[in-house]
Amino acid sequence: MRRDEQLPRFSPDSKTVICNKLKEFKEANEMSEEKKKKEDVEELREVLSVVSKEVPALIKGMIESVFSEEAGRNMGKAAAAFYKGLKEAGMPEQTAVKMTENYISVFTSLSDVMKNAVRGRKIPKGEEIGEEISRKIKEKLAEESQ
Amino acid sequence: MKIYSILSITGSIIRLINSLLVLWLTLRWKVRTARRAFERELIEQGMAAKDARRLSANYSKMKNQIMSVFKGSLRKNRARISF
Repeated sequence: MRRDEQLPRFSPDSKTVICNKLKEFKEANEMSEEKKKKEDVEELREVLSVVSKEVPALIKGMIESVFSEEAGRNMGKAAAAFYKGLKEAGMPEQTAVKMTENYISVFTSLSDVMKNAVRGRKIPKGEEIGEEISRKIKEKLAEESQ
Repeated sequence: MKIYSILSITGSIIRLINSLLVLWLTLRWKVRTARRAFERELIEQGMAAKDARRLSANYSKMKNQIMSVFKGSLRKNRARISF
């Protein structure tokens, strides 16, 4: 059997039809790629328009909840009440100030927590804290026994 | 359509940068007013002005920490993009 006999024979008309179909398919493929690109650009445009409105509002809200006159006044009131309570209980001036400072530093440590969260640093869990405390106590006891 | 999208994207980016710049510029002022209000409350309860000022310094410390967090995350993202 000759090789030519195995291949299907196309008439000139059917060849033109196949060529046209191929051309159409190629065009459709190109169009879909272009459409996809257009959709991507459109999506990016929509995302950016939302981000440019929402992100500054979010950051502004976060900042204003900590750094505003009212927030400062409230925090000051809390610290002042704490200080006044200590003073009324008969605590010496310097100790009361020192304790109020420690009370205020809780807020600073909150920003440390935020820092760790953003940087992805591991925060010790309950068990780890327990281990750490027992290690410190053992160290302290060993120091005192010497 | 394409030109409109590009213009819109550029506009959004400019708006975002402007808003962040305004926030950064007003942050210092906000910290100052918060510190002043905080000090006033403490002084009203009988704390010495010097001690009140020292305590309110925590505010500036907190601001610096938050700014360093933002700067750090920006630097991190820039490094990730460059790779």
